[in-house]
Amino acid sequence: MKNRFLQTFTVSVLLIALIAVAGCKKYTKVEAASLYSISQAFADVSNATIAVIGVYDELMGYETYGQFVSTEFPYDSDEGYQEGDIDNGRRGIGRYQFTISNSDMRDAFRSLYRGVERANLCIEQIPLMPQYTKGSEVEKTDLQRLYGEALTLRAQFLFELIRNWGDVPAPLIPAYKQTSLFIGQTDRDSTYDRIIADLAVAKDLLPWRTLVPKNERITKGTAKALRARIALFRGGYSLRSNAQMERRPDFLKYYQIAKDECAELIANRAQHTLNPSFENIWRDLTSFKVDSYGERVFEVGEGGATESLLGFVNGPILSNASRYGAAIGGTRMMPSYFYAFDSVDTRRDVTITFYRVASSTNIKSVRRLGEITSGKFRRDWRVPLLPGTQQSPGFNWVLIRFSDVLLMYAEAANEINNGPDPLAITSLEEVRKRAFKNNPIGTTPTDKAGFFNAIVNERFLEFGEEGIRKYDLIRWNLLATKIAETRIKLQQIRDRVAPYDYVPEYVYFKNAGEEITWYTGSANLNTQPFWRPQQTPSPITGWSEVSWSAHLKSNVIDGKPLYQAFAGFFVTGKSELMPYDQGTLDSYQGALKQNPGY
Amino acid sequence: MKKLLQLSVFLFLGILSLNAQTLQIKGRVLEDSTNTGLPNVSVIVVETQKGVSTDQNGNFSISVAGKGSVKLRITSIGYQSQTVTTNGSKPINIVLSKEQVTIGDEVVVIGYSSIKRKDLTGSVSSLGAKQLKDNPTSSAAEAIQGKLAGVQVTVSEGAPGADVVIKVRGGTSITQENTPLYIVDGIQVDNALKIISPQDIASIDVLKDASTTAIYGARAANGVIIITTKAGKAGKTLLTYNGSMGWRELPKKLGVLSPYDYVLWQYERSRNSIADSTSFAAQYGTTWDTLSNYKNVPEVNWQKEVFGRKAQYQNHNVSLSGGTAATTFNLGFTANKEDGILLESGYDRYLVSFKLDHKISDKLKIGMTVRYLDEVIRGAGTNLSGTRTTGRLRQSITYRPFELPTPTGGLDDFDEKYYLASGGQTNPILLTKAVYRRQNTRGTYLNGYLNYKILQNLVFRSTLGYNTDYITDKQFYSKITGQARQVGSKPLASIGQDYYTTINNSNTLQYSTAINKKHDITVLVGQEIVDRNIKNTLFTTRYFPADISAEKALANMGLGAAPTGIAQPLPFTFLAPPNRIFSFFGRVSYAFKDKYLATFNLRSDRSSKFNSENGSLIFPSASVAWRFSKEKFMDNVRWLSDGKIRFGYGTVGNNRIGDLLYQQLYRVNALYSLNGAILPGFSPSALSNPNLRWERNKTASLGLDLSLFNNKVQFTMDLYKNTANDLLLAAQTPSTTGYTSQLQNIGATSNRGIEFQISATPISKGHFLWTSNFNISINRNRVENLGGVQEITRNSGWQGSGGVDDYLVKVGQPIGLMYGLITDGFYKVEDFDYNATTKIYTLKPGMVVNSVNGPAQPGFLKYKDIGGGPDGKPDGKITVADRTVIGNANPNFTGGWNNQFAYKNFDMSIFVNFVVGNNIINANKLEWTDATYPDLNMLDVMKNRFTNIDAGGQRITDPVQLAALNTNAQIWAPNKAFNYWLHSWAVEDGSYMRINNLTVGYTVPNNILKKARLSAFRIFATVNNLSNITKYTGYDPDVSARRADPLTPGVDFAAYPRSRTWVFGLNVTF
Repeated sequence: MKNRFLQTFTVSVLLIALIAVAGCKKYTKVEAASLYSISQAFADVSNATIAVIGVYDELMGYETYGQFVSTEFPYDSDEGYQEGDIDNGRRGIGRYQFTISNSDMRDAFRSLYRGVERANLCIEQIPLMPQYTKGSEVEKTDLQRLYGEALTLRAQFLFELIRNWGDVPAPLIPAYKQTSLFIGQTDRDSTYDRIIADLAVAKDLLPWRTLVPKNERITKGTAKALRARIALFRGGYSLRSNAQMERRPDFLKYYQIAKDECAELIANRAQHTLNPSFENIWRDLTSFKVDSYGERVFEVGEGGATESLLGFVNGPILSNASRYGAAIGGTRMMPSYFYAFDSVDTRRDVTITFYRVASSTNIKSVRRLGEITSGKFRRDWRVPLLPGTQQSPGFNWVLIRFSDVLLMYAEAANEINNGPDPLAITSLEEVRKRAFKNNPIGTTPTDKAGFFNAIVNERFLEFGEEGIRKYDLIRWNLLATKIAETRIKLQQIRDRVAPYDYVPEYVYFKNAGEEITWYTGSANLNTQPFWRPQQTPSPITGWSEVSWSAHLKSNVIDGKPLYQAFAGFFVTGKSELMPYDQGTLDSYQGALKQNPGY
Repeated sequence: MKKLLQLSVFLFLGILSLNAQTLQIKGRVLEDSTNTGLPNVSVIVVETQKGVSTDQNGNFSISVAGKGSVKLRITSIGYQSQTVTTNGSKPINIVLSKEQVTIGDEVVVIGYSSIKRKDLTGSVSSLGAKQLKDNPTSSAAEAIQGKLAGVQVTVSEGAPGADVVIKVRGGTSITQENTPLYIVDGIQVDNALKIISPQDIASIDVLKDASTTAIYGARAANGVIIITTKAGKAGKTLLTYNGSMGWRELPKKLGVLSPYDYVLWQYERSRNSIADSTSFAAQYGTTWDTLSNYKNVPEVNWQKEVFGRKAQYQNHNVSLSGGTAATTFNLGFTANKEDGILLESGYDRYLVSFKLDHKISDKLKIGMTVRYLDEVIRGAGTNLSGTRTTGRLRQSITYRPFELPTPTGGLDDFDEKYYLASGGQTNPILLTKAVYRRQNTRGTYLNGYLNYKILQNLVFRSTLGYNTDYITDKQFYSKITGQARQVGSKPLASIGQDYYTTINNSNTLQYSTAINKKHDITVLVGQEIVDRNIKNTLFTTRYFPADISAEKALANMGLGAAPTGIAQPLPFTFLAPPNRIFSFFGRVSYAFKDKYLATFNLRSDRSSKFNSENGSLIFPSASVAWRFSKEKFMDNVRWLSDGKIRFGYGTVGNNRIGDLLYQQLYRVNALYSLNGAILPGFSPSALSNPNLRWERNKTASLGLDLSLFNNKVQFTMDLYKNTANDLLLAAQTPSTTGYTSQLQNIGATSNRGIEFQISATPISKGHFLWTSNFNISINRNRVENLGGVQEITRNSGWQGSGGVDDYLVKVGQPIGLMYGLITDGFYKVEDFDYNATTKIYTLKPGMVVNSVNGPAQPGFLKYKDIGGGPDGKPDGKITVADRTVIGNANPNFTGGWNNQFAYKNFDMSIFVNFVVGNNIINANKLEWTDATYPDLNMLDVMKNRFTNIDAGGQRITDPVQLAALNTNAQIWAPNKAFNYWLHSWAVEDGSYMRINNLTVGYTVPNNILKKARLSAFRIFATVNNLSNITKYTGYDPDVSARRADPLTPGVDFAAYPRSRTWVFGLNVTF
């Protein structure tokens, strides 16, 4: 009896144990309701859309186009400089003192690579979805668009990495599929060729802007315009690992790609054309209005979150106690840039601001010449206003505009034909006419060199504060030249010698309400005083005196005059690229080659 | 079948005989030393398991069915139990003698079963209710601090309900948490020390080495803490009340500059720039002429205003226990109501527990425990996990030490101008009210067990636990807070809810037998599942109407309206994957003649955190012990009552990592906006690693247990070494992969240590009893391998973004190395060349250039140049390369000493604990002596700073005058660079010896009690944290503020200061 019982019991326990063993593998295999496996994430169109939105995410925020890449990396140049004394953040970047411990540089690098990885996941998975080939027409169209977007986004991330760091590792498959996580460096030419080819695929898959809701998603025009831009960089100069600025002999091939893409866009004005008012481009942007002209071919959607600092770090300085809310005026514009504009050019007072709001009185005061700030993303234009200390007014970053398409065409055509063709001339003039409103724009040169110089100048005036100038100068191999020229110009302005002998030493203003009124002698009170060398009011009582050219005699940054201090650590053959940061070097355990000079 | 028949017959006859005859047994139980009657002694008839309790005078009377003689078992806590045989013919007198705590008969719970301490083969530290009773604190964790060898308890800060960091033998994991596994009455319970009132605890056993913990296999790498709660006792139903009331107070205030010194300093600070000078004149209404008026301005000590209150404290515990021989119960109710010393902070807790044990038959026993917790932590504290911009402690130090007249008046007004000028100074009283926080935990814990004695020596036991925790965290930030200022200076509020559910089931079968009365064998086999589920939700609303109250905002989360172009944050929910473990385990214990003992454990675990293709993991362990005192050759050694040597070796595991990291997964964590509307996006949750497996921890432990002088002294020593291999380490990956880390099984650490524990009864004479418990632990931690790299640096992060890494993890060194620059005083005037025309000081050639805080001037903070050049030689300037190890967070040794005295009806206990040889980064000090922002007050050490201002308020530049002015300067001029570098000045000795607890009690004598119809009555007074001997200059050296990363221990930053508690209470039994 006892044994029988023991037997039965033992058998049943063993049985239970056996069932448990069989079931325990299943028991410990779990899923999370809130997490998506790769196959779930690419199960249908709406999930795939969420995955692609995740790729867009890395465009926005302060680490990329919400601050570091858009408002720090492009300075110092002949266009502007980073405010403040040198540090290990944005001011170190501005002075070209790229220390490998610079966290802004590191964080941008990481964020751009996160973008590449997210794009790689989508690029791998979307074409594998059954709906991609066998779905309904709507599904196919939607998925093709998503695939095209992922390709374009990866191209943009890699392009940004290459033009800042050179021969970077270029992973083209997701990390979990990599056999080694130590992804080696790739020659930039081959990566460029790959993304130019990817964009050729993408542009055919993407819809035109007017066929879909107008928002901050990539369309056909984006892929084409970016392809043209990247082709020009592929065909331009860049700093090679031998510490030389070089361009490849087959560069015209890439100019042709740029020319063709731009020509197609120029011929299709129903999709993208110029906004008749230069100012309204930025008024609309700061008012969150959809661009009805499509001039902003593609802009990064920064709104909504609290991560983009555009309008806080750039634009005029605004007191947090004013009704406009806080802005710190981090991007300063060069006095020589100010004087590069014709007096009737409407772009200057959009691109450059010479006022600040210092207190809760909202009264504007005039900045000294060495302290003038940028203006396209100014917070005081925001509709509705956003008072207080909030650092994120929510402005979008414009990645590429239609005027860039026009000027890229002009540049490429001039290079290919050894001089401008008629479309090149009209394209340049179209940009210039808009800026000059109804005023005469002067004569456009028709020789190759003259036309090229006109392009260099027009892009300078058109794209101030848009993160374009420094990289244009690098691809033309003109960065060192223009920095040197600017140092001379700043001294000429300081000394008020030709061609800057008209620059006043001091300017005088009063406030009418909150606004500024100038002392202009007998002239109209609204006339600006910047081209009148002598203008002391008599009596001087009641007027505020502002150092104008005189300001350049004093120390502006780093305890030095501006002409010396800006781009202070720039060395050609080194500073055209940034170094890899400490963390990245460490993680590669010696397998990553640092850029020349670092 | 035959046996069953026999039993039935026996029972039948028994009933018959009950009808036939009844024995009436009377007697009295006496205490041996006083010869007085002992009340509440349990008297149980062994044969029938029926029982009664003695009355006030120790008398009892019991009727027993059946004739002849019966056995009576007489038990009372604190006394040696006795069994007597009587036929009931005449009243019997039983004399109980006080129990000596012996190695012998104490029961130790070792996982799925319990054994007597004398039979233990592994290392286990234990603590009984008696040692807990003198600490009437609400926190069980605080009550065990310093009392267990090898268990280091660090209270993160002084806030009510603050986190407690518990490490058993140093902790092994580098990047994962080191929390031990908690088992309450056989069920795995997280945060167990938080949900149990110390008054409800019967015993705590800490399993420290793999030979004992291996039975818990996979989760045991950090040690196992087993808590047994009080159960009811057969006999008279007892109603007990333990109550205490008192207050907490801030034991120490830090010295800051007086109003005059403060304004003088602001004057000095503002001299360099016209803008600052103008701002100074506007703020303080003086240039220099009237500055001395500030000598007469009344000082406001913000520490006193904010932390200075006598915070009320109440703790009530009522328990009702009793039962019959078959059924016992214990119903407990605990209520805590505490205010924190910081305004607006406090802690309320209600605990109900009910424990029921029932014997259905001789074979079948069942029981259950129901526990309910409702806890509220009030106030936002000081935000020690924040950074300079969000930490709130600093306001009480750096806010200007006086009031400026304002239209509204009062101490708690908001000065907008001051806020903006000073980079965010907010009146600290106001700030405590501006941030509202309520953290509410509701937990229900249901446990049950079934014990079935299949045969006399074969027992089946099944336990089931179902625990739920529901945590609600409500926060509100008014318009003046920094948080609100980031979102348009409009209030914001958030409600976070976390639901935790744990199911735990274990089934064991235990067989024990003795062969030839020499070989004792016990075999245990079992199976267990643990299933844990977590759900989080969080929603945040910004842009509430400017002046809304916290209550209204939290009750109307839809009331915030975002401005155009900006969206509200999206709601967040997350359902974690179930965290499951499936295990089989077994144990064989063998004893030969009670002399040679051996235990073998084996456990196999499978976890949902790892790919099932990677299989399950087997954790074996073995331990042996030799009771040498039983050997013949020891017979003559009279002073040795008992002696045993133990050795154990085994492996245990750790799987405390995120879920499903072996799969590539997406989570909803990305954002992009289309036309101003936020669109959520997927982002990869982590870089997967399909090869992940358990962390494996190997332990070897050698122990010695001695009982000396007739059990008057007990001594335990343990030596151990444990090595953790295959550590789950967040390995740095090239960021070009899109990830900066991947969890990998790389790296190894080890801990070596020695522990001593001595319990003694030095005096037991007549009415005087002195018992003493002393323990000391030494642990040495070492990083053995970091997976390829030799060292990594970590950032404790209090500096905010842009902070420089201040911790070093290096192979061959312990975790917790503080890494920074060496302070070298300050630059003297003679270190510079002076240009009298430009009035500029230039460092003389050869002087070290400070390139981390900016160009040096006389009085500037100076560091030692030790590296940066070729071959690591000094390069003449201070850079990151000049950092070196300047401190170590690991103590040389820790321990505690508890002394309990009793004289007649008086009792007293004093508990001292100590930590010796560790360093603390006093980050507060770095921040509070810094001049980055204008208008901040500083610690008073800066009063004797290097200065440029002479007695007439003139700024001195001439070198001769400047040197003369500063002949007595003791410290540098406050640093104005916008960054904090850790330097050795801020690394302090964290050693301390604290009189943690002093209690004096008086027990009312029985004769008086009898008149009051009470069973027991004791009154007592306790001081916690009475005094602390330490060189540490901060509030308290028992602090660890940066806990999110286990690699950055020992930082004191923005921690809520610890308080001293005065408590008066009573224990009554009705």
